[in-house]
This record gives sequence, C-alpha cells and structure tokens, in this order.
Amino acid sequence: MSVVEAATRPLSPAVGLFARRHAWTGAVVAFFAVLLAWNASQTRNFGAFEIQTMLASTLALAYLAMAQSVVVIGGGIDLSVGALLVLANCLTARFMEGTGFGGSVLVAAGCLAVTALLGALTGLVISVSRIPDIIVTLATSFVWGGAALFVLRTPGGGTSPTFQTLVLGSGNAWWPALLCLLGPLLLVWAPLRRSRRGIAIYALGSSSDAAFLSGVDPLRTKVVAYAFSGLLCGLAGTATTAFTGGGSPQSTIAMTATLNSVAAIVLGGVALSGGIGGLVGPVFAVWCLYLIPNIMLGLGVDPSYGEVVKGVVVVLVVLVGGLLRARRSRTG
Amino acid sequence: MREAVVRDDAATPEPGLLARIAAGDRSTLALIGVLAALVVADGLIDRSFLSLSQLRNTLLVTAPLALMAGGQTLCMLSGGIDLSVAMTATAAAYVTGVQSSEGAVTAILAGLLVGVAIGLVNGLAIGVFRVNPLIMTLGMSGILTGLLTVGSQTFLGGATRMSDLVLELGGGTIAGPIPWNLVVWLLLGGALVVGLRRTGLGRLIYAVGDNRVACRLAGVRVWQVETAVYTLCALLAAVAGILIGGRSGSVDLQLAGSYLLPSVAAAVIGGTSILGGIGGYTGTILGALILAVLDTMLNLLTVDEALKQVLYGCIILVLAWVYARGTASA
Repeated sequence: MSVVEAATRPLSPAVGLFARRHAWTGAVVAFFAVLLAWNASQTRNFGAFEIQTMLASTLALAYLAMAQSVVVIGGGIDLSVGALLVLANCLTARFMEGTGFGGSVLVAAGCLAVTALLGALTGLVISVSRIPDIIVTLATSFVWGGAALFVLRTPGGGTSPTFQTLVLGSGNAWWPALLCLLGPLLLVWAPLRRSRRGIAIYALGSSSDAAFLSGVDPLRTKVVAYAFSGLLCGLAGTATTAFTGGGSPQSTIAMTATLNSVAAIVLGGVALSGGIGGLVGPVFAVWCLYLIPNIMLGLGVDPSYGEVVKGVVVVLVVLVGGLLRARRSRTG
Repeated sequence: MREAVVRDDAATPEPGLLARIAAGDRSTLALIGVLAALVVADGLIDRSFLSLSQLRNTLLVTAPLALMAGGQTLCMLSGGIDLSVAMTATAAAYVTGVQSSEGAVTAILAGLLVGVAIGLVNGLAIGVFRVNPLIMTLGMSGILTGLLTVGSQTFLGGATRMSDLVLELGGGTIAGPIPWNLVVWLLLGGALVVGLRRTGLGRLIYAVGDNRVACRLAGVRVWQVETAVYTLCALLAAVAGILIGGRSGSVDLQLAGSYLLPSVAAAVIGGTSILGGIGGYTGTILGALILAVLDTMLNLLTVDEALKQVLYGCIILVLAWVYARGTASA
C-alpha cells in the first residue's frame, strides 16, 4: 500500500489530481507486476505461451468484471452477470455448432445484440419499478439461468476452430486475446466515458438526487449502463464458448462467475457505493486473482488454498482501502 | 398458524397477524393470498397434495430454508446481507458429519460452534472494521470454499455419515405430518419473531438498519448490534446446514449451495427491505412457504427445470414490484 501513499503525495495540483484519480489503478497494476514477476521467477522459460494461457483463460472473467464495473459505477449492482454469461455461452455454443468461421461471427454478433437488449430491459425494469438493483438482478439471474436451460439442456454444442483461434490466439500468439479485450474498452468505453451519457453514469452513481437535479435522465442513464453491461456479458459468454469449445448451462458456473466479478471490481478500485472507479483496474484485478493460485502451486501449496488467499486479499484490500479513503476525506 | 395456513386457505391466523390484517397490512394480506392461491392450485392439480404425507414433505423442505432466510432477514433488517450462509451451513454440516463418531451431541455442538466462529469473524469485520457486508461475506464464502475443498481431502476427511440423532432431526417424523425439523424451526422461528418485536436487541436491529448515524449519535454501540446480527445469522445457517445434512444423510461441498439465492428471495418476497429497517420474520416465513409450495406445484406439473427457474424469477420480480408499489402509495 506504500504505492498508494507515494502516489497520493501531491506534486503539483494537476499531477496530484491525476495521481489521486488513478492511484488505485496504479497500485493494482503494480501488484500485478509483482505477482507476474514472482510467477515468472518460479516457471522455467516463462514467456509468450504462459501469457497467452493467462489472457485466454481470463478473457471471459475480464469481460464480466468490466460488465459489473459499469453497473456499480452507475450506483447499482448486478447479480445476474454470471447467469447472462451462461445464457450467452449456451446461445453461441448451440448455434455455432457445425458452422464455419463466418457463421460463428454472425452468431456471436446476434448473441451480443440479444444480451445487450436483455441488459437494457433490466435497466428499464429497475428504473420504472424502483425496486433495488440487487433484487431485480437476483430475479433476472433465475430467468436467464432458466432460459439458458431452454437453449441447451445438457452441456454440449460447439464452435468453429478458426473462431476459437481468432478470439484467443494459440501457442505463443498472445495478442489476439488482448486485442479482443481492448476492443470494447477502446471502441465503446473510451468514447462513452467522455460523452454526456458516460459522465451521467458517474453522476448517477455518486448521488442520484444531485444528478437528477442537474438534469441527468436517470432512466436513460440506467438503461445505457445496463445495456453496455449486457453487451459485455455477451462478450464474456462468447469468450467462454471459444475457450471451452462448447456450452454448459449449470447454475453453479453463473454463481461463481458473479461472485468472482464482484471480488474483481472491488480489488480493481470500483467503490460499491458508486461513482468511483474505472474499467482497467478490474481487468488487472482479474489477472491478479488468476496468478495467486498459480504462484501457490509454484510454492508447493495446494492450489485449493488459493480460494482462501483470494478471499483474504479481497477483504484486506477493502479494509485498507476504506481506511485510506476515510483518512483522505478527513485530511483533505 | 403455519400449519393452518398450509392446510386450508380459510386460515385462522394468530392474533398478532389478525391485528395486522385488520390494520390493513396489505403486503401480508397479499402474501397470504398468494400462498392460499398456490395451495388451492396445488390441490386442484393433484388431490394428493392436500394429503398428510405431502404436507410433511413440503414442511420438511421449508424448515431449513426458512431458518436460513431468518438469518438473512436479520442481516437485511440491519442494512446488510450475508452471502456466506450457504457455505456456513455446509461447513457446519461437514464438521458435524466428521465429528459424528464422537457422539451426536458433541457433533452437533461442534457444528454450531463452527457457525458461531464464522459469524463472529463476519460480524467483527463488518461492525468494528467497517468492511462492506457484501464483500466481507463474499470473501468469507471464498475462504470457506477453499478450506473445505482442502479439508475434505485432509483434516476433515473420513466418515461424513451423519449420526442417527442428526438423521432423525433432519428427516425423521414425530407423528403424522409433523417432521422433527419443524419442531426445531418452530422453536427458533418463534424466538426470532418474539425477539425482533419485544427485545431491546430486536428493536436496535431495526434502528441500526433505519439510520446508522442516528443510532451512533444516540449512544447505541452499533458494532455490538452488527456483531450479534451476523453471529446469529451464521448460527441459524449452521442449524439449517445440520438439518439439511441430516435429511440427505451425508455431506458434500455442494450441500447447501442451492439455498443461497432462495434465502435472499424468501426474505425479499416476505417484504423485508434490502435497504434495512423494514420487514420482519413473519413475512419471511410466508416467503419461504410460498417458495416451497411453488416448488411442489412445479414438480407436480412435471415442469422442467428451465421453465421452473424462469417462473421462479418472474414471481420474485412481480412480488417485489407489488410490494414496492404498496409502500410507495402508503
């Protein structure tokens, strides 16, 4: 946490502001760098292959953490991200089976449209009904899970191998997965964050009353945030299909994925109270959470203890982060 | 009262409930209406639903869910949530199963002790160190998953067969349609209803959930209330876990996992606000019964799992919406 301390010491006002805003992301990146170096020192010939494995196997969860971040920044929480991932996974696996590369891309695009629409619908229901986000998304998580069972009754389905290689890369080619991850960040999130609509998401999360009084349309903002989140869930599902080469409608997958997404955003510096954080921090947090069990394996510890360490790390980070934020708000 | 509600729709509720209905408590009325409609529908679909053995089955399923949802209700009333109830229940059942060679009573006590220990850690972290409840209990759930995964192969290995007393408590029958776990539930549930209404701690739980800052300024030791809430919640989850373990006969890591979301759902359907300060255990009981009867109905109709989950979600949503409209117009 000394990184945060060093980064928050004001140098000049502008630099100080920049540093303060990105202190948490910087700390997570530094933490990731330490973990990566540690893991690299354990593995002989650590290189492109290990990086490719990491990027490919965390792609789905990285998308999902981004999906959760958008909603939480907007002042909500989405318990249905995992279920929507499973639904997208089943949709793509069922309809991609036996198709060629072109067909797979077409199916993926259709699936993204569906999940974005479902996300928008969730946002609409939350805004109109005024039921807390957590309840609505709890209910929709059952609905999406059921729908996934409709689409694919038992684990199965398939996809085109070319599509898999294009999304995840193979062997030493680590950049396809990274490009897929950067795609929505640069093409959708970067412009959105600078637009009125994006600023409205942050405003709504910081204080819904103040945002409303300043002329932010809560309904439209909520719908945009949830639609983008739905799109990212669709991407996560598609990435899962590409990674596993099939679909699986089990509700435990949805549950674990949702819980992991919440852990990742918290570690990645998104405040659960809303309005604070970004999408890059959570992605690095996902990679950190992936590296922890690997490092433990390298140390000769049962990797099942990885879950324990993950839990402790997340709780401690929130504890220390909360103390730091409280101190900063007292002194400044 | 609970059997009365399940048995026939022309229920004769206890005075407290009657008074609340007379006072126009619309959400309680709506819940009883939904429950009655479901029971009648079940009866029409299959006459045997109203038989005693089917009633016993329904109650057998409801008791652990209602206990776990009771703990969840406490947390939600104080303005928090506990996402570790399922793993706490599994951990308690595991320990009880492993210790069953030491004698049934020791085994059960060991299981409950595990629950209390987990709850204390949760409560102290949330109350004293101000960790967000969602994150703390999520982290605890992960920690327990890891420990149990490793433990099931090492220090918790060996016999996971429940002792006879636990088997009897979890799945045995006293007489007619009344299973033993109903007795456990009635005792703890009754204590919960009375405790929330009549004791100082009960009122403090509502007060903390309603306005934490005001409570602190009024001299309430908020951290003590929160520690008590999460400890009680984990204890109830442990009891539920032991009952579930007793019903299934042996334990595994997925024992109580499917109870987590329903435990939140039952409290929500029962009208407890996730924002704290509003609701109570009577509503949660109705919520748990509605979920159990609904489940039976969908089984009777041989609806497949897919449609079942979709319906389940829709019902939570519709009831939450009705409830939100009710409080908004009041």
